[in-house]
Amino acid sequence: MTAQIRRRCVVPRKRKPDPFLFFGFRLSALPHARPNDEEVAGVFWLHGQPAIQSLAPNSPYRFFQDIALQALLARASLDTVRPLHYGCGKPREVTMSLRGKAAIVGIGETPVDRLGSKPGEPRKSTAEYLAWASRIALEDAGLTIKDLNRQGLAAIYTTNHSQPFWPEEVASIVGFTPKVALAGGNGGASSVSVLGHSAAMIAGGVVDLVLVVAAAAPFSERGRTRAEPMDTRDFEMPFGVMGPNCKISFVKSRYMYESGMTDDHFGKIAVTCRYHASLNPAAYLKKPMTVEDYKNSRLISDPIRLFDCVLPANGGKAYILASPQRARSLRKPPVWLLGWGERENPSAGPRYRANPLITGIAECAEDCFAMAGVTRKDIRCLNLYDDYIPIVMLQIEDLGFCKRNDREFFEKTDFTFKGDLPIQTSGGMINCGQPSTAGGMLHVIETVRQLRHEAGARQVPGIKFGIATGLGAVNYGKNFGCTAAAILGNEV
Amino acid sequence: MAEAAREIPKPLPQITPLNQPFWEGAKDGKLVMQRCKDCRAWVWCPRPVCGECGSDSLEWTPLSGRGKVFAFTVIREVVGHALRGFARDIPYVTAWIDLDEGPRFCSNIIGCPIESVRIGMDVQVTFEDTGQGVTLPKFKPV
Repeated sequence: MTAQIRRRCVVPRKRKPDPFLFFGFRLSALPHARPNDEEVAGVFWLHGQPAIQSLAPNSPYRFFQDIALQALLARASLDTVRPLHYGCGKPREVTMSLRGKAAIVGIGETPVDRLGSKPGEPRKSTAEYLAWASRIALEDAGLTIKDLNRQGLAAIYTTNHSQPFWPEEVASIVGFTPKVALAGGNGGASSVSVLGHSAAMIAGGVVDLVLVVAAAAPFSERGRTRAEPMDTRDFEMPFGVMGPNCKISFVKSRYMYESGMTDDHFGKIAVTCRYHASLNPAAYLKKPMTVEDYKNSRLISDPIRLFDCVLPANGGKAYILASPQRARSLRKPPVWLLGWGERENPSAGPRYRANPLITGIAECAEDCFAMAGVTRKDIRCLNLYDDYIPIVMLQIEDLGFCKRNDREFFEKTDFTFKGDLPIQTSGGMINCGQPSTAGGMLHVIETVRQLRHEAGARQVPGIKFGIATGLGAVNYGKNFGCTAAAILGNEV
Repeated sequence: MAEAAREIPKPLPQITPLNQPFWEGAKDGKLVMQRCKDCRAWVWCPRPVCGECGSDSLEWTPLSGRGKVFAFTVIREVVGHALRGFARDIPYVTAWIDLDEGPRFCSNIIGCPIESVRIGMDVQVTFEDTGQGVTLPKFKPV
């Protein structure tokens, strides 16, 4: 780290420990502070070390969380740090490196269910799925819950269950006392977003283990009414916009118009996903299907068909991230974080009229490849956030594996696990189920399985590097508000 | 069944100090949006600052109400408890309309058979009173 970076960022200097000091601000002294902001927010000094407690997703002081992260990145002696910019205009282009600073050492995935859809399905609550997934991940890593005390937790908010103190409640449910509680508040992108955030905490020397966990049980628990973003509440719902189905229909209709893609192109991707699901014992929908089946599936919101859509489910998922030293001492071979990028509120073009066919993944990919130092040819597996089939295709374009609107590429490429560019080797959330925002963790977990060569019948031969992506929120008039991507590898 | 469906209300916008000028304009039969006085960029949806230059010097500016369909969908199923009130309208068209002045607006295409809606179609704003104190700007073919 250079002195220059120290000046540019808000770097904590030596101060006397004050649990409520936030870089010189007392949150409660700021206007509009909520009663609990002081307790739930900010950077605290614990035992001479900075520790982050995340803000509630609706807190007006959420941007402090970013400042806190900046400070930690600076302390972590990272190569360069993204300068703060809250406002507009083009940010200064800088890169930071988390390459090889942390590894995934444990993965946990509970069975998914849709309560009553299949006989003998378990009837479990969100809390039980959280604890269940965590236990599987701990066992996989060869750790116990006691090892997590005074380590890190990253808990992901779900769409209708979480309350504002969610990370703390998750710690209480899973049964340990973390030193740091990060929150994933980026919807479906969260499990890939917090992968980078957690790695930064580890690289900063704050903790050397982080449990990342998410679960949801929309079929067995009646959730509270979901709070909607103001654009959705005021300018979409009054016009009968039916949530993401409708908004992604806009994207798909424009994509078809501009690229000339047809249901044959989308169907091919859907069939590939189902084929992989048929080889995945943990998948929910395994019956092989054809392009004709896809074409015959009913229209939900033209041109979005049933087989374009993700499958909501109950379930829980978890993974454990460790420092390099810790990772090498555990049971399973480490899967290294090599590249990572995140963009929130991205916009391809002016915000009032963005190009909805370019997602933030395009910029995440630049960060990822620059950080990892690998090329697209090195990547042997793409596990892409798949709430809808056309979104998988847009991300392949965004990641730079083909040109824009490249029909020929989608026609000629073999996307199966033994093909040219394996995608969605687990079958994707479309076939494995989406327990709310926990769903996206499937892609991290599947990439780890592939890199450990534990993927059984769908194992990609000789794989060294894979990509997992996450997407969340569909913004007004464009596409995803939350985007993140990571390159993982089985060697540093 | 049909009568029961009629009683379910449709969601209405929450009128806030930030978006109030838009809804007042709609009530008067005008389509207005914020525009940045500094960089002249449009700001939509309503925001406290310009999304392009960061200026907070924004003014509510009238638009012609003409535009082209950028993308559209035919809603065929209700998804979500909050939107059950729309069941009686199904099938209907929601669309992104690129207004001639620049901003993209999300609304319904009405006043024509749903089969006739096309991307690139010229449309013109028309105002629909919900009878509940809110007027919604919708679009019809020119």
